[in-house]
Amino acid sequence: MTDVAETTATLPNVVYHQIGKPLVRTDAPGKATGKTPYAGDYVMPGMVQAKVLRSPQASARLVRLDVERARALPGVVCVLTARELPDRLAPTDIPGQTGQARLKTDQQILVRERVRYHGEPLALIAAESTDIAEHAMSLIDYELAPLPGVFDPAEAMQPGAPLVQGEDNVVARHVIRKGDIAGGFAAADLVIERTYRTQFIEHAFLEPEVGLAWVDENGVVNIRVSTQVIEHFRFIADAIGVAHNKVRIMGALVGGGFGGKEDITVEVYLALLAKHTGRPVRLEFSREDSFMGHGKRHPFALTYKTGIKRDGTITALDARILSDAGAYVYLSPYVLLYAAVAAPGPYRIDNLNVEAASVATNNMYTSAFRGFGAAQACIAYEQQMDEIADALKLDRLELRRRNYLKTGDPIATGATVPSAIWTERCADLAWQALGERKEPDGPLRYGRGIAAYQQSYGRLTFLHDTSEAWVGVEVDGTVIVRSGVTDIGAGQASALAQIAIEILGVTMDNVVVYNSDSAVTPLAGTTTATRALYMTGNAVRLAAEAVRGRLLARAAQAFQTSAEHIELANNRVSVLDNSARAMPFAELVKMCAADGIQRQELSIFRAPFSDKLDPETGQGQAHPDYTYGAHAIEVAVDTETGEVSIVQSIACHDVGQCINPAAVEGQIEGGAAQGQGYALSEEMIYRDGKLMTPSFSEYLIPTAMDVPKVKSIILESRSGLGPFGAKGIGEPSLTPVAPAIANAVVDAIGVRIYDLPITPEKVVRALQALDGGSETKSGDGGTVNR
Amino acid sequence: MASDRAITLRVNGRSITTAVPAHRTLLEALRDAGFVDVKRGCEKGDCGACAVLIDGVAIDACLTLAWTAEGRTIVTAAGLGKDELHPLQTSFIEKGAIQCGYCTPGLLIAAHSLLAMSPDPSEDEMRFELSGNLCRCTGYSKVFEAVKDAATKMAAREAHHD
Amino acid sequence: MDARFDLEMPESCEEALTLLAQDGAVPLAGGTDLIVDLRARRREPRLLVSLDRVAELRGIAAKNGRIEIGGRTTVTDLVRSPAIATAAPSLVQAGMAFAGQMVRNAATVAGNIASGSPAADLVPPLLSLDADVTLISTRGERTMPLAAFFIDYRKNAGQSDELIRTISWQRPPERAVNAFYKLARRKGDAITVTGVAVTVAIEGGRCTRARIALGAVAPTILRAQQAEAMLEGKALTPALIEAAAHEAAGQSRPIDDIRASAEYRRHMVKVLTRRLVSQAAERLG
Repeated sequence: MTDVAETTATLPNVVYHQIGKPLVRTDAPGKATGKTPYAGDYVMPGMVQAKVLRSPQASARLVRLDVERARALPGVVCVLTARELPDRLAPTDIPGQTGQARLKTDQQILVRERVRYHGEPLALIAAESTDIAEHAMSLIDYELAPLPGVFDPAEAMQPGAPLVQGEDNVVARHVIRKGDIAGGFAAADLVIERTYRTQFIEHAFLEPEVGLAWVDENGVVNIRVSTQVIEHFRFIADAIGVAHNKVRIMGALVGGGFGGKEDITVEVYLALLAKHTGRPVRLEFSREDSFMGHGKRHPFALTYKTGIKRDGTITALDARILSDAGAYVYLSPYVLLYAAVAAPGPYRIDNLNVEAASVATNNMYTSAFRGFGAAQACIAYEQQMDEIADALKLDRLELRRRNYLKTGDPIATGATVPSAIWTERCADLAWQALGERKEPDGPLRYGRGIAAYQQSYGRLTFLHDTSEAWVGVEVDGTVIVRSGVTDIGAGQASALAQIAIEILGVTMDNVVVYNSDSAVTPLAGTTTATRALYMTGNAVRLAAEAVRGRLLARAAQAFQTSAEHIELANNRVSVLDNSARAMPFAELVKMCAADGIQRQELSIFRAPFSDKLDPETGQGQAHPDYTYGAHAIEVAVDTETGEVSIVQSIACHDVGQCINPAAVEGQIEGGAAQGQGYALSEEMIYRDGKLMTPSFSEYLIPTAMDVPKVKSIILESRSGLGPFGAKGIGEPSLTPVAPAIANAVVDAIGVRIYDLPITPEKVVRALQALDGGSETKSGDGGTVNR
Repeated sequence: MASDRAITLRVNGRSITTAVPAHRTLLEALRDAGFVDVKRGCEKGDCGACAVLIDGVAIDACLTLAWTAEGRTIVTAAGLGKDELHPLQTSFIEKGAIQCGYCTPGLLIAAHSLLAMSPDPSEDEMRFELSGNLCRCTGYSKVFEAVKDAATKMAAREAHHD
Repeated sequence: MDARFDLEMPESCEEALTLLAQDGAVPLAGGTDLIVDLRARRREPRLLVSLDRVAELRGIAAKNGRIEIGGRTTVTDLVRSPAIATAAPSLVQAGMAFAGQMVRNAATVAGNIASGSPAADLVPPLLSLDADVTLISTRGERTMPLAAFFIDYRKNAGQSDELIRTISWQRPPERAVNAFYKLARRKGDAITVTGVAVTVAIEGGRCTRARIALGAVAPTILRAQQAEAMLEGKALTPALIEAAAHEAAGQSRPIDDIRASAEYRRHMVKVLTRRLVSQAAERLG
């Protein structure tokens, strides 16, 4: 269900032939007919199967590791331990073509001595069959001596805590200071302080990590792998000790990513085994391997103290943010930075103090996940906004209206947003769409919640992000797009096709996209950070426009008019206002070919570049641009059992410009479902670092019975930095959902649950506490009336 | 240890003979035989990605031993359409019900099995019968639209044939 | 799967029983539990006896007010059966909250009972219906109340060579309500946190039969017999229902696990018992 609301264009209205239409995605038919090969579907003659032996303990010393019995098992081809890799370390920094100095986070590939998390790899096995490899695992004899571990980031910061990383376990700190924080609080009539907590979350993509590697006749290590980032080839080359041009990554259509395939997963193991065995090697993670084999979403504790005037004006915000980095650094510093920048949300807060730290523990390591720290911040600021509204007895939307950032306002870092900020319209439309309130029904109480957000699209500008794409026209009038971009299921490749055909005036059946090969397709950067459409879409636009320019010049010559009078659309070339003067597109291309006119272009798109944020104040530019919107939720809470059902889920986002509305809706609907799981049912539970939820029986993502039909209200300000004014929607669609649900639950039952997920048990306990008249606020701190 | 036994499986109208041990699951056997549209997602019946039809009924291939499937008619998602696409496939394509696509073969099979039991399913019935197929991308909304659309198409086709 | 076993696929019950008489033989029905256990090496049988081709073990029959279902009847068979819909609404409700379609198409009633899981969803309904279980082996056949079948956590009265041939029960009286509620952390395809099944019959304003069966709150699924006794012979007033629900909670012996605490589960026994019995009392006027 979609309402595309009336557009208030900030760019002149133009008629598009392909853009903004719900065209069938280029990848859909192959997937619907089972013809699409995923990375796990490739095989090679002579291939061996690999397995990873993992530590069953979270904090231990490896005393003994004896692999001789496994090596002796018939059919075992290779067993690797840290002993065979004396000089090898794996980089874990943010991937891609950044040109920035790498963080000092290189880590052991296999456990040398110290085990830092449950599931850390001890050994790699390659065998003639999966059965043999599994059997060989059981023949590896090892002894682990438990070491004291630390499993809480606040404890890990204390002096004397067991050391997991560095001198003090703190892997990153960020501050943002702006305005007069003391003055701001002094000017406040009311100060509210609360702590909001979030949990470990698993990406739960349906396709576990998998790849196939072989060393070719030139000594190049080729890896066909399910990844969001083919540009890991550089880190993989560094890890195995070869030149960067000796590793080639070929992606495949990816069976879901959400940030979980942003870091290296199977690639280094595959590369090492392929080199050691000299044979093609296939490694497929089991679901349990997958749960143990990639970083989780960070649990955060966010303590928010807000000063407000009686009229609802926010005078100051002091936010203290602590994230659990787990056992290794990975992308924790970046996720933390996103959280710090997003801390005040879509609100104008001129007196701001943010102090954020990420701390290592012996929990599973944490890294990228859709929303990337900004989602956790939203869970804090949007719950706090509701608490402020309640304290002031002010309408929740009205309080927000009085504080929203407006177009042209500076954000937390002092930078201004280059695009339109339509938060207010989005929130109002989503809220209105909820309709009439429902009356209580037996033990059921209905409640509704809203959450607005600010979420960046595009990478941190100090990373100096670029993306390349190639567009060419064949002599029969068909179009080819080549780009390294990985397609992780959102239709990234198809969107590029739609952009190219709009500009070149052909139809979807006349375009093919070749993507995701680090040696052959132009490097496009990562499919992360809601950047693929923005960055690579622009690169395709630039390339297609260059080709179009040459085609138009030739057409103008043929029709003896000027290029501005030529239209390219629907595989036809015509003179504007004179449709009689026209020819097939293919005919024009043939003319160009005959004249030796270049019919291809390789283009690079550069995001805005900046320096790093000022380390003392956090001021400067952080991201190219931001998406704004809101999500409204209606819940039904069974006050006896604590069960929460989502009755209505309504999203309203300004996406700038839909390239493909069906794909936009798909992102929104999927984000709504993930956000629902985040709020209600999902939690990776670690007890003393040990994973207690190793399968989909324990880790509960929403099913078809849990998710309501999602209503999408899509606004188009055409003000974004993406092609045709598009903004990004991949991450934004998820960010406001969980806090909207949390707020709706409070609306229903009158008491807030400060730590996600909101389980039936927590609801019942909160209601019991409320009934008992005891202290109901489980959040630290309290309300201070002044 | 149990030894391999040659079994003949009838899959998507083809007969394949393969020598496998007793513990080989139908999922493993089908994938090894090249039917890689049957997806491995959890290997414990939690996700539905490996669903196939056995004699028209959807089951998880990961929980089925290959030997027990001998003599049965097995259909995978790739075998749903014969000369043309199955209406479910067309509807999934047209309604945008596919994102990463990894759960799609299993969903198509579960939906096929559902429509065999109930040609005009209510929304609750669709939710119930598709709840064993986890999807992390779509939020299911467009999947329901697609199944409903396919049911309509199939009913029209039936009426046309009558 | 790193597991080693033989597999036989008999065509008749008799043949299956002969095979099951061998040492280390285990029946394989739907496989939805057993295959998972084999892969995790929680069980290492020597021989699996597949019941796939034993047609005589599958089916639903009703005669003289008695319902009899074969052990190999699947959960889907139950959910889609008009006979079960009237003779055991709680069983349909349990089936409607049972895993996902593919598992329901394979999983069997006997398998669910024999799994011994405290969270086996078909069992509370069957206990609330006073079901009997008939076991068969080469040594003969025996029938016992299902309630007597469960001994302790994953331990039951069945012998290793026995199959669950049938489960049967008397259709509840006209003026009776039979219902099940499954409380879980998610609506679809989830493991039960607390499951309660009740049968309540009322004649002349008094409760003539009360059955309360509790799932996932003790090492085995159990009947709350003291609570049942409190209700039988009495008019079902809110106060009495409350007291009986409290008693049922007292009879539960739940544990803490990742899904919920023991305290919450015990409280839910009370909430759900009260809710189901109250609804029954209301419906029966």
